[in-house]
Order: sequence, then structure tokens, then C-alpha cells
Amino acid sequence: MAKSQLAYGVSLAAIAVMMLGATAQAQNVAAAQAGGGFQRGGGGHHHNGGGNGGHSGANPGAVDPGIRGGAPGAGQPLPGISSDQMNFFTVAQGTFNDVDTPATGLGPGFNLDSCGGCHAFPAAGGSSPPTNNPQIAVATAMGATNVVPSFVTANGPIREARFVLNPDGTPDGGVHDLFSIAGRSDAQGCDLAQPDFATQLANHNVIFRIPPPTYGDGLIESLSDATLQADFDAQAQQKASLGVSGGFNTSGNTGNKTRFGWKAQNISMLMFAGEAYNAEQGVTNELFPNERNNPDASCQLNALPEDATPLTDAAPSASQSADFNSDIVQFAMFMRLLAAPTPAIPLNIPSGGTASASASTTAASTSTATTTDPAATTTDPTAAATTPASTPVAMASVLPTAAGSSTTSTAAAAASSAASSATSINAGLQAFINVGCAACHTVTHTTGNSALGTGATNVTVNSFSDYAIHNMGSGLADRVTQGNANGFMFRSAPLWGVGQRAFFLHDGRTSDLVQAIEQHASSGSEANQVIGQFNMLSTTDQQNILNFLRNL
Amino acid sequence: MRRLLPLGLGLGLAAGLVGWLAWRDGFVSFGHGPAIALPEQGAVAKGRYTNAYFDLSYPVPQQWTTGLDGPGPSETGYYVLSTLVPTDDLNGTILIAAQDTFFSMKSYSDVAAAAIDFRQAMSQIPAMTIDREPSEMRIVDRDVWRVDFSGVGLYRAMFVTEIRCHLVSFNLTAREPQLLSDLAHTLDDVSYAKGKRAASASFPICDKGYASTENILRRVEPKDASGARFAPVPVRVIIDRDGMVKHIHVIHSSDEQRKSIEDALHQWKFKPPRVNGRAVEIETGLTFKFKGQQL
Repeated sequence: MAKSQLAYGVSLAAIAVMMLGATAQAQNVAAAQAGGGFQRGGGGHHHNGGGNGGHSGANPGAVDPGIRGGAPGAGQPLPGISSDQMNFFTVAQGTFNDVDTPATGLGPGFNLDSCGGCHAFPAAGGSSPPTNNPQIAVATAMGATNVVPSFVTANGPIREARFVLNPDGTPDGGVHDLFSIAGRSDAQGCDLAQPDFATQLANHNVIFRIPPPTYGDGLIESLSDATLQADFDAQAQQKASLGVSGGFNTSGNTGNKTRFGWKAQNISMLMFAGEAYNAEQGVTNELFPNERNNPDASCQLNALPEDATPLTDAAPSASQSADFNSDIVQFAMFMRLLAAPTPAIPLNIPSGGTASASASTTAASTSTATTTDPAATTTDPTAAATTPASTPVAMASVLPTAAGSSTTSTAAAAASSAASSATSINAGLQAFINVGCAACHTVTHTTGNSALGTGATNVTVNSFSDYAIHNMGSGLADRVTQGNANGFMFRSAPLWGVGQRAFFLHDGRTSDLVQAIEQHASSGSEANQVIGQFNMLSTTDQQNILNFLRNL
Repeated sequence: MRRLLPLGLGLGLAAGLVGWLAWRDGFVSFGHGPAIALPEQGAVAKGRYTNAYFDLSYPVPQQWTTGLDGPGPSETGYYVLSTLVPTDDLNGTILIAAQDTFFSMKSYSDVAAAAIDFRQAMSQIPAMTIDREPSEMRIVDRDVWRVDFSGVGLYRAMFVTEIRCHLVSFNLTAREPQLLSDLAHTLDDVSYAKGKRAASASFPICDKGYASTENILRRVEPKDASGARFAPVPVRVIIDRDGMVKHIHVIHSSDEQRKSIEDALHQWKFKPPRVNGRAVEIETGLTFKFKGQQL
């Protein structure tokens, strides 16, 4: 009797276990179905309420010195190029800055009407100017009837917009041009409507990208896949001690490492140029020969592709070679021949990018800005969708394209003063490497044997990127997948030229370098540990890093 | 004797509760196989970080809490297992991480070699000082190697050991040497997750090379997944004593790739693993490459 009672009890318990198990299994399946993306198990992107787990807040004394003054540190051709290359560079630069019209291929959808309009600052080939966003004027140029979307403002970043999902819920991720040629006096008959950005914004279905600078891209193109992999592997130990992993985006066809664009989605400058010409300006070309989104015949004004290889030299220039090449080839070659940005004060780059231990052992102190004016910079931490753009960060002095429109502040002036210290800048470089920023923003690579010539062959490239893609967490996630880069992943942005960049991060959400650094940390980000360490640095060391970056 | 009925019910319900808790914490998978934890399924609860896969339990220091989640497992089998930070002033951090040695970029003969290589790498960083040369110690019956280093006002230590063919590391950072020392002492309180050697004793034998051609008796290729990524996909499998696939862990992939790989691997059969003539379970690794778009 006793045995049967025990058995009865155990049986009941077993039934209970089975029921729990069945419920658990059902929940497990449901959870698995709900889980999207590439993240598995407990390593996903879940906010936690863990105290100051966000590692937020740098020392309040450290401030962004602002856009470095003086002459542009970029925009010149590679050193040592031949006269033929120089002639091509000059002609191609003109083509890069040419304003397109519907007759030359603009539209029917577009974001701006020239390459040089977006890639403008601090010189042709760069990124958004800090003020006077040209997207405002182009919206109504030639009588066009476009409404400027709320996320484009006069002193905000030039932006493209991508929709995350299609109306049926499938992934989109493509560029949706801000403007239409409809209403322009030079595009009569086309009535293509703008996308309904207000509704898409309300549905949280829009993400932004800003123009990446293209200086030194010929050098980046001249880095072999093997070099990138070896340099990545060489930092494996440091990465592993910092929670950093990452990998490369690759061509689905060839397996080669792709390296251009915010997600390293483009394999070459030619592809970058061809795709941008089509997606940003609506100009069909020999890489992208069809108009986007099947526009009505009334909006297809030209024979396709609109940019084709010229077989006659209709207007001889200083470069016959350029004359016989298409616009996209000229764009690509212009960007390839652009030299690397030059730091204002030469850097004491450690050998091999990581320096011997004897290089220097102490981060020098520098005068630190003690007066800060948070209002001098603005940030859009909520990211994506609905923000009006920010006003520019204070500039220490006037740059050519920003004449008369800069603002200054006590904080920026003080920080700028600190930035003039070579000691601070080189201490900042050391701290940048030491604290782990350089685990992804790799200081140095070396090019291979480049067809561009001696200026690009076997030369040291201090671009501060590993060209790998990394999970940047929920705070920066844009929910767009491009190749191996999922919605959380971005390329380590090359930092050369950052001293004269007006807007930061893929969507230009901030003009404050401190905020750009802090926003590297969020749930799921590979940078969390490094940002935590950055936040533990002394104000002096943090300021040194900021000064170093603004010297680039 | 009637008293045995509630006893039996109580025991049964307790067993049920344990079962539920085990499932909740990821120690049990229903369906294809018996209880298998995954490396990334450790968590902080009741003041301890506990990881069943690695069979370790670590007491979170007083006045510390979990930090931001790290990324999911990487394509090279790297895991951010947990991050811990102080509840108030950020004067230190703890990163618990693991690197699957089946898929790592570098391979080492043993933990000591990994520690020495790490020391060399740190010494190459500007303004970094090596404060403690690689040194061996024992923590809960395991050989652990420690390297201390410092720079730019941060004092750091890396403790690394090998568990189930993973380099499991505790990476400590502190603003003050004393805090680093205090944090290092907390590692003395690391213990087994499920009691002394209860789980460790039942770990499968890890063998990087077992999934070689001569050991594979039946092989079914995964179907190319739509929207597949081009990057290689690392997969850990446990092979039972009969050579059947007992458990599959697709470490980093798209959802489509994971399903494709799991569907294929469930059909694989291996030569039944033997060590000194004794039937054993083997844990090994495989890398799948999808072709992606065709030219």
C-alpha cells in the first residue's frame, strides 16, 4: 500500500513535470520563432536595468575641441602622381563637382544633384558641410515642388533615407530618394511624388546615412585582403580582452573583403561611385543601367544609361583619358587619387601602429578645458527618425566653406588651445591605442603594389580602421542588413580627417565628438568595454584623446 | 504510511520545479536531445554569475551589478559571457569572455602559451606596462594563468583557463591597484555551478579534429539558405557513443543558415567515438561555407 501511494505521488509529479516540459517546449519554439537576426541564445540585445551598466558619461571636463581650423587638411592629390594622373585628377574633380540636371540624368528621384555637393567638406571628396545644407535649396531648385523632410535642416547633415521594411513587412533597407524632379522647369511632364516620409517616420521605418568622406580611398583600395586579415588577426588578443570580435563583410560572389560604405558593403571605388550616382542622383550608368523603381515614361527623359563611355571627344580637356571615360570612372579615379587627410600636427605614430613598449610610458598632461558649454553642441541620442538636425559644433576658426557661419564657445576655444599642444595630441594617440579604441580603429596598414603608382605602393596608411564590421549595439542599430553586416553592424569608420568632420556616426546624429564616442556603448555593442574604460580615464587623458582626434 | 503520499507528491513537484528551473536557465533542451547548456546562456542571479556549460559560478562583488549585454557569439566563436560594473562610481569593470579554440584566429598548445602570447601583445601597446608576468595558479581545481598590465591610469588583469576547448577569461579593470587586487581575490570564490565536479565530470571529450572525413559515415550537405551570408558558419556538435549527433550549436549564422545546418546535421552519422577502447561522447567543431549568390 505504501509503495503504491508513493508511486501515485511520483506519477502525479511526473505528469506535472511533463506538463511543465511541454509548456517549456512550446515556449521555446515560440521564442525561437520570434528571434530574428543573427544573434542567438543569451547574447542578444536586451536592455537590462543594471545600474550604471551603460558606462555613460565621460568626465564632464573633457570637451570636443570642435572642427579644427586652418586650411583643409584634405583634398589634395596623392603625392608623386604623374602629370597624366594629375591632369586626370583635375578634370575628374570638375566632373565630380558638376551639377546634373534632368537632361544629363538627374532623377527622377534624387538626394542631391552633384557628388561634390554631398562630399564637400572640408574640400571636394569629404562629407557634409557644417552649415548651409545644400539639400534645402535643391528641393525647390528650378521650380521643383518638393517638401523638405523634417530630418533635413539648414545646419544639419546631408542625409539619405532608407526604409527598414517594405509595406508587406519584408526587409527593405534600400535608399528612398528625398526629392523628385517633378515641377522642375527642366523636367516638364514628370509628376513623380516624393515618398511619404512623415508617415514612414511616424511608423519608425526610416533610418539615415550621411556621406562618408572619400579621402585616401585609393590607398584603402590598395590594401590587400591578406593584409587586412593579418592586421585584424594581429590584434586578436587585445580584442579578446575587450569584448571585441567582429569580422569582414565580403562579396557574395568572390569572397573578397568589401570595405567601402558605412557597412563596408562596397568592394571598390568604381562600385561605390556607380551605385551612388544611381541611388543618390538618379543617374543611370554602366554599372547601374536602369532607372530605379520603374518610373513612368514621362519621367524617363533620356536614353539609358545616361552616363556611358564616350567614344568621341566632344570637348577636349587637359586629359584625353578622362574625356574618353564615363563619369563614374572619373569619379572613382578622382577619389582614388585623393591623398590621405593630413593631421595638423604630425603624429608620432608607433611602429606598426602599436608601438614598442619603450615608445613612451606616460601620457602627458595638458591644459584641460574647465569651462564647458553643453549648448555649444547638440546631440540626437534618440537617433533615427524624427529629429531635426543639429546645429554645428563650434569651430575654432573659419574654414573656407564655412565662412561667416561658424560659432565659437568658451569651451571650444579652451579645448582648441589644448589641441594646439603636440604633447597632448601624441599623448592622446597613445591613450587612444592603450585604452582599446585602436582594437577596431586600427592605426596602421601598409598598401601593396598599387597600379596608382608610387604614391600608393607599399605606403603606410594611418586611417584608423580595421575595415571590419562590428556589432555596435541597440543604440546605433539601423535594422538594415547589407551582406554580412546585419542591422546591428557597422564598419569601423576610418577616423583620418575627423578633425574636420562636422557630423558623426552613420546618421549624423551628433556633431559632438564626445557624444559620438559615448554612443558606441549600448546593449549588444562590442565597444562597451572600451567605452567603459574610456569613461574611467582621467579628464586629462580623455581630453588628450579628443585633441588627438580633432588634430586628424 | 499515508504520510508517504504527500512526501511523494512533494518530491515529485520539487523535481518538476527543478526541471522547470533547469529549462528556464537553458540547461535543458527538449526535443532533439537531453540536457545541454550553451556557452552564452550563463546569467547573473542571486548575486552569482553562473554558467552551466562551463560549470562555473562566480560571486558578483558586493555593490556590483551586471553591465550592458555584450554582442552575441561571433563568427570566430568568441563570447562575451557577462560584464559586471559597480553600482555607483565607475571605477572598475569585469568582462567574462570565452574563445572557442576550435574556431579562434590563433591556436595555442596550452593555456600557458595563450597567456604568454597575450603578455607579448599587451607589451607592444604604447604606454602599457606589464605588472605581473604570466603566472600559473589554481582556482577550483583548474589551472589558471594570470597577466597584470597597466596604462593610462587603468590597472588590468587577465585570468585565463581552458574549459571544454574554450579559453575562458576574466578580464578585470580598475582605476586603483587596490581595487584590482580586491577584484582578483573575488576569483578565489569561483566554484562549480552544480556542485563539485557534478557537471564537469560528465563533459564530453572535446576533440577539434573528430569531424574528419575518416570519421564521417554519413554526410548530408546543408541546402543553400536563401539570403545566406558568405561568411563561414562555426558549429559545435556533440556526438554520442553510437556516433549519432546528439546536440548542435550553430554559433553565428543567419536564421536560415542555422535551420539548414541543423536539418542536415541531424542526418549525419559518425564512427562511434572510442578512447582507449571505451565508448565516449565527443564534442567537436565544423565550419560550413555557403556559396551565397552565384555569378
